[in-house]
Amino acid sequence: MTYSPVAITGMGCICAAGNNLGDSMASLFSGTRAPVPPVSFTSNHPINYPVFEVHNFTVPADLLRTSALGLHAAREALDDAGLDRELLSTLRVGVCVGTTVGCAISNEMFCREYRSVSVPGMGPLERILRSNPAAVIAREFDFSGPCQTIVNACSSGTDAVGLAASWIRSGACDVALAGGADELGRITYIGFISLLITDESPCKPFDVNRKGLNLGEAGAMLVLESERVRTMRKKKARSFVLGYGSACDAYHLTAPKPDGAGLKNALAEAFACSNTDPAAIAFVNAHGTGTPDNDRVETMVLAEVLPGVPFLSTKGYTGHTLGAAGAIEAIFTAACLELGKIPANIGFSTPDPELGGNPVTENTPFSGTIALSESLAFGGNNSVIILGKGEV
Amino acid sequence: MQIAIQGVGVVGGFGTGVAEMRKALLSGSSNRSIIQLSNCGDPLEIPAFRTDTSRLTEFVPLKALRRIDNFSKLGLLGAYLALEDAGVLAEGKQERLGVVIASGYGASGITFSFLDSFINDGDICASPTYFANSVHNSAAAYISIMLGATGPSSTVSQFHQSVPSALQTARLWLSEGRVDRVLFGAVEELSELIGYAWCRQRGTTDSREISPLLTGTESAVPGEGAAFLLLSRKEESQKGYCFLDQVITGRHLKPGFIASPQDLLVLGADGRREKGADYAVLAENATVACFTSLYGSMPISPAFDLAIAALMLKEGKTFASPFSGICDFPATVAAGGKALESQRVSCLSLSDDDGFGLVTLSKG
Repeated sequence: MTYSPVAITGMGCICAAGNNLGDSMASLFSGTRAPVPPVSFTSNHPINYPVFEVHNFTVPADLLRTSALGLHAAREALDDAGLDRELLSTLRVGVCVGTTVGCAISNEMFCREYRSVSVPGMGPLERILRSNPAAVIAREFDFSGPCQTIVNACSSGTDAVGLAASWIRSGACDVALAGGADELGRITYIGFISLLITDESPCKPFDVNRKGLNLGEAGAMLVLESERVRTMRKKKARSFVLGYGSACDAYHLTAPKPDGAGLKNALAEAFACSNTDPAAIAFVNAHGTGTPDNDRVETMVLAEVLPGVPFLSTKGYTGHTLGAAGAIEAIFTAACLELGKIPANIGFSTPDPELGGNPVTENTPFSGTIALSESLAFGGNNSVIILGKGEV
Repeated sequence: MQIAIQGVGVVGGFGTGVAEMRKALLSGSSNRSIIQLSNCGDPLEIPAFRTDTSRLTEFVPLKALRRIDNFSKLGLLGAYLALEDAGVLAEGKQERLGVVIASGYGASGITFSFLDSFINDGDICASPTYFANSVHNSAAAYISIMLGATGPSSTVSQFHQSVPSALQTARLWLSEGRVDRVLFGAVEELSELIGYAWCRQRGTTDSREISPLLTGTESAVPGEGAAFLLLSRKEESQKGYCFLDQVITGRHLKPGFIASPQDLLVLGADGRREKGADYAVLAENATVACFTSLYGSMPISPAFDLAIAALMLKEGKTFASPFSGICDFPATVAAGGKALESQRVSCLSLSDDDGFGLVTLSKG
């Protein structure tokens, strides 16, 4: 089946690179980043691993930080789209959010109190139950369309955008807010350290000396809009969702399949459903975590499927924001299509002869109108989204 | 597009498989047990509907299960049972199979085990195995790995709306032609701390009788389990159960949503006091049934309602609602063992924030 393009009319994000899209893009193109050991929590692990935290951000007491990040990005995206509450109240609006920790029933304080033979306060669990990321946004704006929180680990954000585009095409809603949100916390910090895939220095995607990822946190939301509504209000698109594909490795819980079969299948589906010739791809915003396995498999597949196409990872600026990663990288991809240039892959300096290619090392102009963002995830998920340049 | 339900796989407090679920429906009884908890060091017991995953070894060698936690075992058992029920288990690798999983709480048992691993011994002793298994999509991953399912895979966590929301995704994938079949499943695990949180929120009564159709009364009993449906496009279906006509989710459902007064409405009311009145308003003048007394209260309860509705449509008759409590809903409770008056059965589930899910199945 060939998909019709779905317009993106608004975008918003918050991450360590900036508390909105404009500031984030400025950080990317100025080549600045500042990962440091966690400030919002402590660990008794002997190594202080750097992370990318969001600062100057206030979280309402009744919400998880994850949901607050998502809500913050949603407000920016709706403002960017020019959709106010009065107009939204006349439309069927869906919300689709990817996350990893946003609906995990886990709270360290609750667990510690339970184990220490005291009566745990129920506040932390009640906050989790109130904070389903998609439901929080739907509740805030009183949306009545489909509402879904996707928990496909690190591909969640890409999957959320892909699914929301399907909602628009199928007529399930007039407008969809789609994206991802994930906070940084002790549990994921300790968990990723336990897997031995974190770098104790700033991450170096695709570099020969890469040792792993740095965690980050983010909220990133896109406004997808039907042609009927867009025509009615004469709104130009900032970008278009042209295609989406996803496939499972069916291989391992945490490691990518060495032959990249799942990623190839996802790419093939995205090209087919968007009727896109791979030769038309101007650049790839790669998953590029900086882990030895991910970068090896990803570059091998890119060399085979998209030889010579410039690629980069933006995780060197944001850290790995898990469930938000696919969404914020889709937004960066769309913004780069608008600007006609991509930022340098920060952290890369020495090529790895075992990899299938090297990322761009400086801010690089391009002339195409189609780009691709991909996500690989625990559980063997591979997701790809193809975006087209908008009309703005 | 109409979607066909080709197979059903269930494991819950009533037992394992469609035959045991049917037996419980006919007898009106299920296997309620007791779970042991700790309350400030003192023992605490609550009634609950627990599950037994021992039949999983009929499908997967024990050795291959040694690192898999209870949540994923529940998912795997439900998945294999649905494929077996549909008669497609022997087909080998499922390359055009999509996997869609719904879960409200995810792998909560292994998540708490992960926390224990560093709470007890320090951050450096955190268990990588527990962490890897604690991700929400672990059950979906194991199912795809075991079945060789290389199509798309997605897990949805929308608390009490997880099932209808995930079902929309399954339906969309089939409509778009992304896959030939979808293994749709809902999984919930009643871990120790979920059980404890339940007690704190709802109190404990070891002899509690579930009265799902009585407003203003707290009578919910927690449960766990898995309910899976093998879905395909109607034109590619072979003999199965029934068809999935529509899935509607949203907020602020108003009475009068049922297409025909003859349609049977299966209510997801489960004895949670705060939802009873809402179900009662929406059930006004409808012919209703409610089966939560067979498997208990959990976010993915609507998946069991779908499995039972599918069985009713396949057999063309109703099952009696298995509760002995009083009903004060302004509705007619369908008698058991009667021919279905309508070719359609709708399943309604309500959540916090005025959310609803309405899934309609039909004989086709």
